[in-house]
Amino acid sequence: MKKLFCAFFFFLFLVNSSAQKSDYSILSIPDSLKQNANAVLRLDQMDILIASQRSMNIKTQRIVSVLNDKGLNDIDAFSHYDKTTSIKNIEAIVYDAFGNEIKKIKRKDFKDQSAVSGSTLFSDNRVLYLDYTPISYPFTIVYTCEVETSNTAFIPQWYFLGGYYLSVEKCVLNVTFPKDLGFKKKEFRFNGFNIKKTEETDTKLSYLATNLVAQKQEDLSPNPSDLFPKVMMGLENFHLEGVDGKATTWEAFGKWYGEKILTGTTILPEETKVKIKALVGNEKDPVKKAKIIYDYVQKKSRYVNIAVGIGGWKPMLASDVDRLGYGDCKALSNYTKALLEVVDVPSYNTILYGDRYKSDIQSDFVSMQGNHMILAVPNENNYIWLECTSQDDPFGYQGVFTDDRDVLVVKPEGGEIVRTKIYDDKGNTQDGKGTYTIDETGNFSGVLKIASRGSQYASKSRVETMQPNEKEEHYKDYWDNINNLKLGKITFTNDKENVRFTEDIQVSASNYGTLSGNKMIFVVDAFNQYTGNIKRMRNRKNPFQIQRGYLDTDEIEISLPAGYSIEFLPSNYELKGKFGEYKTEIIKKENNKLTYKRSMFLNKGKYSNKEYDEYRLFMEQVSRNDNAKIILTKN
Amino acid sequence: MKIIKLFSLSVILLIAPKAISQEFKLGKVSVAELEQKVHPKDTSAVAAVLYKKGVSRMEFDQNDGFYMMTEVETRIKIYKKEGYEWANQQVWYYNTTNLKERVFFTDANTYNLVNGKIEKTKLKSDGSFDEVISKYRGQKKITMPNVKEGSVIEFRYTIKCPNEGIIRDWDFQTSIPVNYSELKVAYPEYYVFKPVQKGYLFPKATTLKNPKSITINSKERNVGLVSGTSFSSDKIDYLETEVTYVAQDFPALKDESFVNNIDNYTASVQHELSLTHFPNSPIKEYSTDWNSVVRTIYEYDDFGPELNKTGYFEEDLKKVLTGLNGQDERIWAIFNYVKATIKWNGYTGYSCDSGVKKAYKEKTGNIADINLMLTAMLRSSGLTANPVLVSTRSNGIALFPNRNAFNYVIAAIETPDGYILLDATDKYSIPNVLPFRTLNWLGRLIRKDGSSQEIDLMPKKTSNDFVFMNYDINAEGKVTGKARRQCTDYNAMIARENFEKLKEEEYLEKLENNNGKIEVSEYSRTNEKELLSPTLETYSFTGNDLCEIIGGKIYVSPMLFFSQDKNPFKQESREYPVDFGYPFMDKYNITIKIPEGFAVETLPTAVAYSMENNLGSFKFNIAANGDVLQLMIVNQINEAIINTEQYEMLKEYYKGMVAKETEKIVLKRI
Repeated sequence: MKKLFCAFFFFLFLVNSSAQKSDYSILSIPDSLKQNANAVLRLDQMDILIASQRSMNIKTQRIVSVLNDKGLNDIDAFSHYDKTTSIKNIEAIVYDAFGNEIKKIKRKDFKDQSAVSGSTLFSDNRVLYLDYTPISYPFTIVYTCEVETSNTAFIPQWYFLGGYYLSVEKCVLNVTFPKDLGFKKKEFRFNGFNIKKTEETDTKLSYLATNLVAQKQEDLSPNPSDLFPKVMMGLENFHLEGVDGKATTWEAFGKWYGEKILTGTTILPEETKVKIKALVGNEKDPVKKAKIIYDYVQKKSRYVNIAVGIGGWKPMLASDVDRLGYGDCKALSNYTKALLEVVDVPSYNTILYGDRYKSDIQSDFVSMQGNHMILAVPNENNYIWLECTSQDDPFGYQGVFTDDRDVLVVKPEGGEIVRTKIYDDKGNTQDGKGTYTIDETGNFSGVLKIASRGSQYASKSRVETMQPNEKEEHYKDYWDNINNLKLGKITFTNDKENVRFTEDIQVSASNYGTLSGNKMIFVVDAFNQYTGNIKRMRNRKNPFQIQRGYLDTDEIEISLPAGYSIEFLPSNYELKGKFGEYKTEIIKKENNKLTYKRSMFLNKGKYSNKEYDEYRLFMEQVSRNDNAKIILTKN
Repeated sequence: MKIIKLFSLSVILLIAPKAISQEFKLGKVSVAELEQKVHPKDTSAVAAVLYKKGVSRMEFDQNDGFYMMTEVETRIKIYKKEGYEWANQQVWYYNTTNLKERVFFTDANTYNLVNGKIEKTKLKSDGSFDEVISKYRGQKKITMPNVKEGSVIEFRYTIKCPNEGIIRDWDFQTSIPVNYSELKVAYPEYYVFKPVQKGYLFPKATTLKNPKSITINSKERNVGLVSGTSFSSDKIDYLETEVTYVAQDFPALKDESFVNNIDNYTASVQHELSLTHFPNSPIKEYSTDWNSVVRTIYEYDDFGPELNKTGYFEEDLKKVLTGLNGQDERIWAIFNYVKATIKWNGYTGYSCDSGVKKAYKEKTGNIADINLMLTAMLRSSGLTANPVLVSTRSNGIALFPNRNAFNYVIAAIETPDGYILLDATDKYSIPNVLPFRTLNWLGRLIRKDGSSQEIDLMPKKTSNDFVFMNYDINAEGKVTGKARRQCTDYNAMIARENFEKLKEEEYLEKLENNNGKIEVSEYSRTNEKELLSPTLETYSFTGNDLCEIIGGKIYVSPMLFFSQDKNPFKQESREYPVDFGYPFMDKYNITIKIPEGFAVETLPTAVAYSMENNLGSFKFNIAANGDVLQLMIVNQINEAIINTEQYEMLKEYYKGMVAKETEKIVLKRI
């Protein structure tokens, strides 16, 4: 949603070198590479030539044998361009299964499109891409491309294995660079893959990888970028959209960013300053001041991303944001910073990867990284983090988009790597309290109050802004264990001060209790069933992650129908293990009433492939017990 | 009592005149509009179109002749943050060598109420953008400044289109409420435009005839005894047709599941040039009724003539048809030949893109390239084959004749037993089982002589999904059994698509994990590629989690993982028809062997019921015979489309089915 360095972040540049006479026949692919593969990369070669601080040439050659239509995505024949990046040439040739040429696709036959994503209003970045309709499988595409750019801030990260279900026969990376620019690199996870460094001098770096077999995708795995081998590269002296830069240490990089990119962007009109001072009034406490300003920005602004030239990296002027009332993450963070300056509250631009999946700025590799910006307000020995693109987030709340990860805080004295707020598993709570009644015909009616905090606040509070039909859909999905659900009155209390979202809901449903003969059967746990399905897998290979833990507690009073007596009550249940703790309890009370108590605590963590089955069994136990039924008999 | 009544009356009187006074003119934003906190008729609305007025008028320029000028002004109220996206606006335009439109945004302002006063912020050049979308289209975008909750924004745009025959489509409805929407369309008497309206709500239309004139100045150079220039001026009088559509208080459109295409239900009007008649010239028809629409399309270079080309395939086709005599054999051979030879490039359209010859040579083409080629081949083999124009589901349904109503073409063969419909662009399509995208009410068949006829595209034949299952339950509640599933027609098509999507290993993993974590063995598939035969899957399974043991008794849903345990129709009320796509029958034959030492305590009772008008019927039969239970369950839906009046009935039908299919058999120890 909110991308900072949107233009260059994701894609690999792919380019060509001298065309070689090769055997493109499918027959020559070894069987081991066809196993689990939708496509085989016969050759994946990139030649990067950095001629100077302001000139980089990238040649890509990519020979892909596509085995079936699921392998079409692995062709990856596209190249971005804009004012500072030009495509010198781009071409693709298609060969049939026997290696006979069947089609040549020239530059003019590539599709040309604006490279804006959904959240970007306008960008000058464009993309040329190949749109080929295969006439039969398998086939082979030889794609070559050469790109020249003056931006040397981003040397493509090199992934030897570009994705799942893709095998690689041969993968070559050659980088040539001048001695004096401070070229550096970092290698990740080469272990277990057939990768060789073939050359490393003060002006050259080369790798060769051969026969990397296709990997299967598995649930709960880390992102491929944290799983597969890769090389990060960078220059200590680089160039970005007309500005020379330096990245020797985080201090130096932060200083450069502050001086060359941010300087002069926080000037505000006098009128606004007066207004802001009046707004803050006599408040002395910096945190309270920041709260007032944050609220002001939330009410005044909206998220609009316009990325042209340096605008992809440099924030819009604060005075423009002030006048227009919109901006992207950089602009809004910077504007908030400017307003805070007016009332003498220091704050720092903070660069990070914004994503549900926690992803760190690589702290031991100084370079341009990240895709998002937030603001750090110092508070004693800590920071309060402000997400300035949101008009709804409580002050300092980080939800699930920027929490628990390494980020770069840009201070005047230089950059600093800091971990953002970690939401404790036991603080991510959902607390349900309510009652339900079953009548003689099995009809159900109940009221429930659900309070959500921590990272659960993020997923729940969005319900408040839903349209009525979306709300209905949400609750009918949430309680899809209750058939024929009818929603009554729903009210919300969004306590932003304490970051707690409360739902008060009335529901009813016919035939919740199933009647058969003189028995009635129904599931005790009506309101909070674990409905996930942890797949059974033969031979799991990858480790798995639980990114965020949680604690759910429920206490529900159940009124049983008159004229029935209890034939069977599920017994109390407790399950403890490394993944968490689960407990349910049913207490018989007077007047045909029961109290049902449930608590479920899940630990976050990184676990090995060996532990996966144990986790599955744990969750299956939970699921089974959540489905425990009461049986009543008619008197 | 009386006092209270009087009081309430006066309250009403006080409130009534407060209904917001509005002036539908740019710049005349009222304080009341800015003060309004929620939409009076839809309190959940995030924004609303307060008014939108457009004029498309054909104007004359001495150099360029007639052209179409469209001017639209809009006022939008933003109530909530979720409505901020309405502050970003865009208008696309044609940008080809033959057709260059020009678009301008002007008078764009944001209005806010600041301390009781109206504050106006003008849109400057830093908030407007011009984007190249493709070789054919560009787009002007604006993003309004200073937008907050409560803001009112206004803007005007003009589109100058050199082609006088194009009037932009106009939607009177959108995802937010529209308080007032007006479109005026005006053109000289020499032109006739056909309006095409759709939706569930219709604007009021009025027509006026305005006297108008154009003046053509000409100068002529006389060369003779006295050379000089003489000027002349011709004034031509004509009548202008002016149609005004007014829509008031149209509610927001909400999307629903099982809806074919929400655009079909949007109140909107399109205009299509149907004829021109200039003084001293013959009438030129573009389209007036379906027949002439179709004839016009037929005469397009990239349609009719493409059908008549045969030379490029004749040799090859001869080989394909060698030794084949039966009609069905020949159809099947040609159909498969086209499918195998030419691949669809993903583009729709009833006009050829590359042209049949080129498509044939390159082995790839658009919908028309492929299906017109198919038609031509069928014809050349002696069959009565014709193209059928279709509008895909995503293109919506055309209620009135116009050329844009179609975006797709298929082939039809006339036989004594009716039409056989064919689409060679889909891998799993077979005769009379068309791809889902084409199942959109009616198509239009065109014969060689240009005459045409309506073709019902909706499938009439029931697609079956039959399951045969037998299983044993042991004393621990473990289930061991065999299942056999057979699908025909559309269900077979879907099954084949699912087979293709996943490698067999993953398919099985999914089959296991989505069905109560059973373990599957001895899995086999038959007729995966034999498209004319039903798909068949057989497998053995075991499941430890399919029965529950409660208080020493075994509880089991007899259909196990095949039971429909959720009602797919959860909405309280329904705005638009439910579209299943095709009639279907799900049928289950189940044999259960209960464990030794156990006896049946309760069995679900048998039921049978049906919906009115034979829309559908449900049967649930169960019989016990010693330690063996026999079940037969049938769910049959006879209509592809169920309209909104029948929604409640459909929902109840499914409710009953879910209740029955989730009922348990209880087994007790003897």
